Amino acid sequence: MTVTLQTKSGEFKFETAPGEPVLFAGLRAGLTLPYECATGTCGTCRARKISGDCSPGWSEAPGMARFHPDKGDMLMCQAKASGDCLLRVPADVQQRDANTLSPSSIQGRISACRMLTSDVMHVELFLDQPIPFDAGQFMVVGAPGLEGGRAYSMVNHAMETDQLNFVVKRKPDGGFCNWLFDNDVVGSLVTLFGPLGAATFRPEEGFDLLCITGGSGIAGIMSILSHASAIDYFMTHQGQLYFGVRTLADGFYLPELAAMIAKSRENLQVTLALSDEKPSSDRHPDFPDIRLAEGFVHDVAAQSIDGSQENTIGFVAGPAPMVDGAIRVLIANAGLPANRIRYDKFS
Amino acid sequence: MSWIKVCKTDDVPENSVKKFWAGGGTIPLVIARHKNGYRAMPPVCPHMEEPLDVSGVVAGCVLTCTKHLWAWNLETLELQGEAEKPLKTYDVKIEGEDVMAFISEELVYEFDDEDDMDDDDFFNS
Repeated sequence: MTVTLQTKSGEFKFETAPGEPVLFAGLRAGLTLPYECATGTCGTCRARKISGDCSPGWSEAPGMARFHPDKGDMLMCQAKASGDCLLRVPADVQQRDANTLSPSSIQGRISACRMLTSDVMHVELFLDQPIPFDAGQFMVVGAPGLEGGRAYSMVNHAMETDQLNFVVKRKPDGGFCNWLFDNDVVGSLVTLFGPLGAATFRPEEGFDLLCITGGSGIAGIMSILSHASAIDYFMTHQGQLYFGVRTLADGFYLPELAAMIAKSRENLQVTLALSDEKPSSDRHPDFPDIRLAEGFVHDVAAQSIDGSQENTIGFVAGPAPMVDGAIRVLIANAGLPANRIRYDKFS
Repeated sequence: MSWIKVCKTDDVPENSVKKFWAGGGTIPLVIARHKNGYRAMPPVCPHMEEPLDVSGVVAGCVLTCTKHLWAWNLETLELQGEAEKPLKTYDVKIEGEDVMAFISEELVYEFDDEDDMDDDDFFNS
């Protein structure tokens, strides 16, 4: 099936596989299509069907709230062609250089799972082929028998790897996480598309790192810090991580963070912010290099950040209200301009 | 319409955005106070209608909408961050302790760009 896209910068054609979202097929073909979440929530990849056979997919997608399905509006991340079709995309689109790596569809097999806290799981996958990715990127993951895909940021980092690690938090009505938590899934096949996302760590920029995150949002931040630590970035640059959880027992990846701090010549500072518990000390009892503070993570960061942060880039990940509060702190307290704040815009 | 008193200068602390109603309560607007003055504008971000009194942050001379990091220099109205559309503004003057805005008609943004999607000029815009 051939999809033709009319865009502000010209017309493009590409082939889609049966059941493949139009967005994935276009990205796979090397087009710089607009997207953020790639999972139906943000609305960035909106297109309008002009002719042909293309179904919009998930009818309740939050990202469609502002658009007009009756006029053919659809989200490319949900839309699937069933024949040749013509869509319009209100954006400038370019064809990437043939040498640039594009995201692709791959398969993975779950190789290990372990509980990090009572409701957070660490999941390891082996891929059927190694892929390169940048620290901070994510994959859209699908499981057999479950509709649609979920976006998960990689926890690990390697220039090219056939192993990806993810963090999954259990949510009451989350089909994918319930499948993971309620079944013996080790050995199960999953489908993946990626890598995706531009909220990445680029060491060549030379910025100090200021990261504010909550809960499972730590995933992409761990990848960024792991990459930085592996290349001895903290020998010459400062890093600050504010990691929000509810109680001391909800903290995870603390041994890994403590190891990075120990290697950083005190240039990496990590503060665990507890929203629902007053810590008995300002240091973690098992990892004394990790500081403890009481309060919401963005409030803790606001109190701790001392004036304008020169030559610093901010990374934010977590639940929507936390992201909003953290961005406010990065702008108002840390003095960061908007172009030095990176986060995946999932809403 | 003409110059209309919107608020007192102290009603809007520096580095903040406050919402008011002008024209007898018929025209919503926000006053943003930056390092060197005040700006009056429609109460929503021109990107996705985020309320600027909730999601707008002023630091120095820059207004940023925290939702998607659209930002503008409030002195020059230059686009910053990820902004793709300019702010619309009402002229502002300070008379004594009053912040006055010149309002001839309500300024609104075009959010429904379906004409854009259907128009032959779509490809040239």
